[in-house]
Amino acid sequence: MKRPWYSFLYVRSPLVKIGLGIAAVMLSIAVLLFLGVIEDRRMAAQTANWDGRAIEKGAEIYTNNCYTCHGPDGKGLPGVAPALHSKYFFTQRLKDVGWTGSLHDYIASTVAAGRPSKVKSQWAQMMPTWSQRFGGPLRDDQINNVTAFVLNWEKDALLQGTPDNPDPWQPFDDAPSKAVAEDGSAPVAETPVESTGPRSPQELFAGANGMGCSGCHNLDLPQTADSRGPVGPNMANLYETAGTRVPGEDAATYIHNSIVAPNAYVSEGYMAGIMPQNFAERMTEEEINALVQWLLDPNRQR
Amino acid sequence: MAVQPELEKKGFAQTVLDAADDVFTRITAGIPAGEVRRMLRGEAPGRPNPRLKPHSEAFLLHIKPTYYHESVTRFTHTFRLGLLSTYLFFVETITGLILMIWYAPTPERAYTDMIRLLSNVPFGQLMRDLHRLGAELMVLIVTAHMVRTYLTGSYKAPRQFTWFTGVILLVVTLFLSFSGYLLPWDQLAFWAVTIGTSMAEAVPPKVVGETVNLLARGAPDIGANGLMRFYLLHVLFLPLVLFLFFFVHYYKVVHFGISLPSDEEEIGQDTANKVPADRRVYFLPDVMIDEATFLIGFTALMVVITAFFFSAPLESIANPQSTPLHTVAPWYFYWLQGLLKIADKTIAGVILPGVLLVLLIAIPYLDRNPSRRGRDRRVAIISGVVAGIVMIILSWMGTPYYAVQGAPPVEIVQELMPEEGMGPVREIGYAHLPIGKYDTRENPVTEDEEFNHILHEFEASIAAFEEKDPSFNQAYGVLSVTQEQPSLKRITWEIFWISPEGVQDKFVRTFFLHENSLYWEQYGLKDFSFVRPPAQE
Repeated sequence: MKRPWYSFLYVRSPLVKIGLGIAAVMLSIAVLLFLGVIEDRRMAAQTANWDGRAIEKGAEIYTNNCYTCHGPDGKGLPGVAPALHSKYFFTQRLKDVGWTGSLHDYIASTVAAGRPSKVKSQWAQMMPTWSQRFGGPLRDDQINNVTAFVLNWEKDALLQGTPDNPDPWQPFDDAPSKAVAEDGSAPVAETPVESTGPRSPQELFAGANGMGCSGCHNLDLPQTADSRGPVGPNMANLYETAGTRVPGEDAATYIHNSIVAPNAYVSEGYMAGIMPQNFAERMTEEEINALVQWLLDPNRQR
Repeated sequence: MAVQPELEKKGFAQTVLDAADDVFTRITAGIPAGEVRRMLRGEAPGRPNPRLKPHSEAFLLHIKPTYYHESVTRFTHTFRLGLLSTYLFFVETITGLILMIWYAPTPERAYTDMIRLLSNVPFGQLMRDLHRLGAELMVLIVTAHMVRTYLTGSYKAPRQFTWFTGVILLVVTLFLSFSGYLLPWDQLAFWAVTIGTSMAEAVPPKVVGETVNLLARGAPDIGANGLMRFYLLHVLFLPLVLFLFFFVHYYKVVHFGISLPSDEEEIGQDTANKVPADRRVYFLPDVMIDEATFLIGFTALMVVITAFFFSAPLESIANPQSTPLHTVAPWYFYWLQGLLKIADKTIAGVILPGVLLVLLIAIPYLDRNPSRRGRDRRVAIISGVVAGIVMIILSWMGTPYYAVQGAPPVEIVQELMPEEGMGPVREIGYAHLPIGKYDTRENPVTEDEEFNHILHEFEASIAAFEEKDPSFNQAYGVLSVTQEQPSLKRITWEIFWISPEGVQDKFVRTFFLHENSLYWEQYGLKDFSFVRPPAQE
């Protein structure tokens, strides 16, 4: 019979075949042993990988949903929403509210179920319910991701209060802080920043030591029927509309009154009591007037 | 029974040896130790052949033929593809059973179970990669088996029915692979299966299509019910169908014998079962040693490939609200995706594949040519090759390179940092992304060579699209890398261009990258950098 030209490749001897089989088994065992030796490190790397990816996903969710109130760096906006990227939050908050679970659980359940009460709260807005279980947009895995993202501030937040990182101690008002300093005395209250003359309107509106207006009021979008601010009215066209709101009040008076007595006139479609009512105490008259002028300036500088 | 007289007759040592040989013969189902030694030495069996006994004694061997024709045992006649397909089904069953231990088919758990399997189960990743590689190889090898059968004309009488069961097995293999695709519950799985089942919806008439779709998905959209159904299809129903058809198929193979090389018999004859005594190759020991060595060698190859060159993908968790850019089917369905791009869903997704299947089954009845010799079958072989080339072209059309290009800025960013998967930026990783703002108009150069390469690609990609697309003018890009958190970088891609109306337009896409994140490609050398973690400062 004809043999093909490549027939020399055929392995015919059974002993050679068995030898090849044994060699293949040894090779497999060698590879598996190698994998077994590095398996612990592989699992550790995979664990770190998926934790890292959860933080990445959480960062996306935070950027899309949370940063308007809690600030782009998580340090909160005064009067709007608390700082999460703070030493107080990571070290004292659970003790103050008497939470016995972990910080992860506290954050995850707050994100999921919101903060339905405003009792003794210094924040303008209530934390909404974010979980799909309670009518929000986020799935459970997304809540875990955003929690992982918030927890990832821990390393940085614990360094606060050192000379390199002078962020202040930022307790919330809703639970009296039980924090005790190392010598047994009550903690040093948040020292108000020494005022060095009147603060600029820009700083008041959006700055770190400002009033946190930018958390609810958008300066870039106009307030129209199609473009309503979700919490407070948008302000791009404020100079046109301010004078038309309350009969008998010109634009400057209307804005001034809206700042010092927000509930005196509430724009249609918004709730009374959202906007903090203590701005008259927190700003000087001079600062309020400058802020009013700045808000009414059509070419306002940021 | 009578131990005493036997001892007296044979002596103690001989009695023990005989008893041991007896036990050995029971284990080997009829072959004494001396015969095994003669087998290994390559000595001829005595007559009557004592090596035939296991074929009648042992269940697993009774379905194997006792001897083969020498010509069909040549490797290049069958390439052992049928054996390999069967073996891969066995591998898939074993690895699949192991994977089932850590898996629950619910949307709440499926994806986290995958992560747990990868990060908390010793050899979990190996098992998953083996299962996935085995599935892809099985599709490949079953197809190759069919192509071999076609080219040697082995489907001709009397083997028409064997061919039919083979086509069924091919279809079941494809469905098995596809139903397993959904189980990790990631974006890749979810959208590939959403597209796949939406083809069922196109079955005419409308009421049938909708019912089939509803039955497959368990709801208008894939959710908990759909996952459960695909799971049951994957682990129970389809394996059982495959099991049944495998035995029918194999019985027919043994019954008719493996067809001889076509030039060894007269045209129109089938002498596969009339093997002359001098051409017989007995299963024991020759074929068994050959097959065992082949399968062991193949297993070693699979282990090496899985350990070093193949990683099953796992994307983000399934999100019904967002379709990732460039969703693709598994590669063995690229041809179908290609068809769907050029024709209507009903025609390309249902009627054409249906016609193709019927044609495949009908081949033995359409081909009336009695000869199995290549030179007599020019029409059949050329049409087979043409069909193969058409499949390859259609498959190419199924990839994102054909006809689904998005807007230039979207494609530019997708090329460098895709929504899912690795891409060049994630490949160089966190450590090679220096903080800063890089404007392509200034030809920025950093100290990091790998990052410079990315910047260069960004620039080149923008320039290439500018040339190609008339609505994309005077474009430039700005890439900013900022530190979002300790160990987390924000990567913002901004692309500016002048639209044909002369208006400046802008595209922004933001990604985050964590220090510890590992991204990987499905094929290619695995990343073993974790073996030596970077020194901590």
